[in-house]
Amino acid sequence: MESVDESGSGNPENFEGKYPNRHGILLSLIRSLRGKTEGSSPVATPVATMPASARDSAFSYFYRALVKDKPAFGGFLVIMIFLGWSIFEGVLQMIDFITRRTDYAIMVLGGNPLALDFSHSLVPPSTNSFALLFGTDYYGHSILLSILYAAPRDAAAAVLVMASAIIIGMVVGTSAAYLSGWAEIVFMRLTDAFLAVPALVLALAVSIMVGTGFTSVLIALTVVWWSRYARFFRGEALSLKRRGFVAAARLCGTGSLRIMFRHLVPNSIDPIIAYAALDFGNIILWYSSLAFLGIGVQPPIPEWGEMTYAGLSYIPGSWWWSFFPSLVILAIIISFTLMGDRLQEVISGRIS
Amino acid sequence: MVELQAIIKQYNLNAPLQVQYFDYLQNLLHGNLGLDSIYKAPESLVIAQFLPVTLELVLVGMTLSIVLGVFTGTIAASRQGTATDKAIKGIYLVTWAMPTFIIAFLLQLIVAYDLGLLPADGLANPTLIAPATVTGLPLIDALLAGNLVYFWSLVQHMVLPALAIAITTFGIAIRIMRSSMIEALDKDYVKLAYMKGFSKRQVVYKTAFRNAIGPIITLSAIFFGTATAGAVIVEDVFQYHGIGFFLVQAIFSLDNVAILGLTVIIGISVIIANLVADILYGVADPRIRLE
Repeated sequence: MESVDESGSGNPENFEGKYPNRHGILLSLIRSLRGKTEGSSPVATPVATMPASARDSAFSYFYRALVKDKPAFGGFLVIMIFLGWSIFEGVLQMIDFITRRTDYAIMVLGGNPLALDFSHSLVPPSTNSFALLFGTDYYGHSILLSILYAAPRDAAAAVLVMASAIIIGMVVGTSAAYLSGWAEIVFMRLTDAFLAVPALVLALAVSIMVGTGFTSVLIALTVVWWSRYARFFRGEALSLKRRGFVAAARLCGTGSLRIMFRHLVPNSIDPIIAYAALDFGNIILWYSSLAFLGIGVQPPIPEWGEMTYAGLSYIPGSWWWSFFPSLVILAIIISFTLMGDRLQEVISGRIS
Repeated sequence: MVELQAIIKQYNLNAPLQVQYFDYLQNLLHGNLGLDSIYKAPESLVIAQFLPVTLELVLVGMTLSIVLGVFTGTIAASRQGTATDKAIKGIYLVTWAMPTFIIAFLLQLIVAYDLGLLPADGLANPTLIAPATVTGLPLIDALLAGNLVYFWSLVQHMVLPALAIAITTFGIAIRIMRSSMIEALDKDYVKLAYMKGFSKRQVVYKTAFRNAIGPIITLSAIFFGTATAGAVIVEDVFQYHGIGFFLVQAIFSLDNVAILGLTVIIGISVIIANLVADILYGVADPRIRLE
């Protein structure tokens, strides 16, 4: 491994073949998103000077790796549909919330998933209309519209919790590994303390302190989630900090902060993002478990876990009430697992 | 107002927050978790009543889950790439992706309500008189008192919650066992065993199995944590009177002392479980010893 270059982007030969090493793919995606202004930075030099034809764009590589594995690609498609719809519906819900006059989010659905309508209580699924495709619940809410209306919150919870967990974990883990000494002792013992308590118990304890509601669930889940990412970042940084490019940067007079966040973090982020792809589904799972325990989004705002739970006592007569929401939860979590598994295999270089 | 003043004085609520916090820590070191605001009894005694029940449930659920997971994982690894392997992967994915409360409710609905095979909720048949508390673990207590009727009732009530915990966690065991078994089956000593003329069954279950079991022991500590978290939901569904049930009750009655105490106690139990797993690993694999 002596030929590993300073950016950690791997042996240049690897880029010419179809087996880039694990530090290549997402790193180059991040760089391409950042634009070419970083060209003069020592970190970006090896990639920037490489001929464009010699390397894949990160996204196309990632995409081709997924296409080869049918289940993983199916999962990828499901996630894209879920995220796409969530962004669209979520933006409309935000607009409605800000203006407080418009009802775009409900207009788009073609029916109000929040309105009570006992004349349509427990209608079985039928193909007569879009709203009745999955039937209705006891209160006359359309199951399909409720599922669609609830989607943006699940997506937002997953993305926001994951982003905050990664950022906190990154700061704590990387600085613990790089600074060592007392900082490492304090940061890692703190992380261990958070890791010791089972996630659900800690989330419950935290949500008691911050109250119920969407925001408090986000806070509770973030408090639970960051610690494992702190461990990952510490592990990666510990192995990276002995490498030549860190010593070189230090010799150049680069400050600790810059070494940590411009040299260590970009090189350690790939395997962590692969794990995060797998972990997204878990957040949605915990989010619905908290909703089941009565903490989190309060009725009448629909939530998948809550819908499943409410409908369970109507099985088998009105099976559709809990069947479709639980099917959606299952499909999305399985999709994240399949895609994350594949991504991890590709990044760790086990499979092309 | 006199009562209010008395409560404020009792819980020292007028003191600054950091003083209250250090008081709490100091009391914690003396094993004093404060006074439960619902039961009006020392929190440590209240928790001590509920904890063994959950401990028993979690241990039974965990054992079930590990045994199921280890054998399914071994089957998947020895038939890698076949339809059996794919079916097991499907089972793993579905049980892993299914929220705990859905599995618990489905079990309760189908087995208890529709088929009527087992009791739906509770710790034991409420018409029976519980034997005297000796160890706190209900099963052991019933056996010590020689009360077999009560013991059988306890077992019947425990099957469904333990099964729910096992189903939600055994996917991880399958996954770990499968990959560690595949790794073990690739080793030279396995090839040697084949060359010696052992059958595939003998090689898989005798030679490779012993070498692949290591990660599962480490995993059992993590399992203890996930199973305890699962127990919170499962106990709530089955009205099983352990700490999970108590925790959910405490949340809705805003019993902060109980929530804090439970979090601390559960955290300590998980740390102890980790320690035990580390020691067990040293016993199972003589190459690893405490330094």
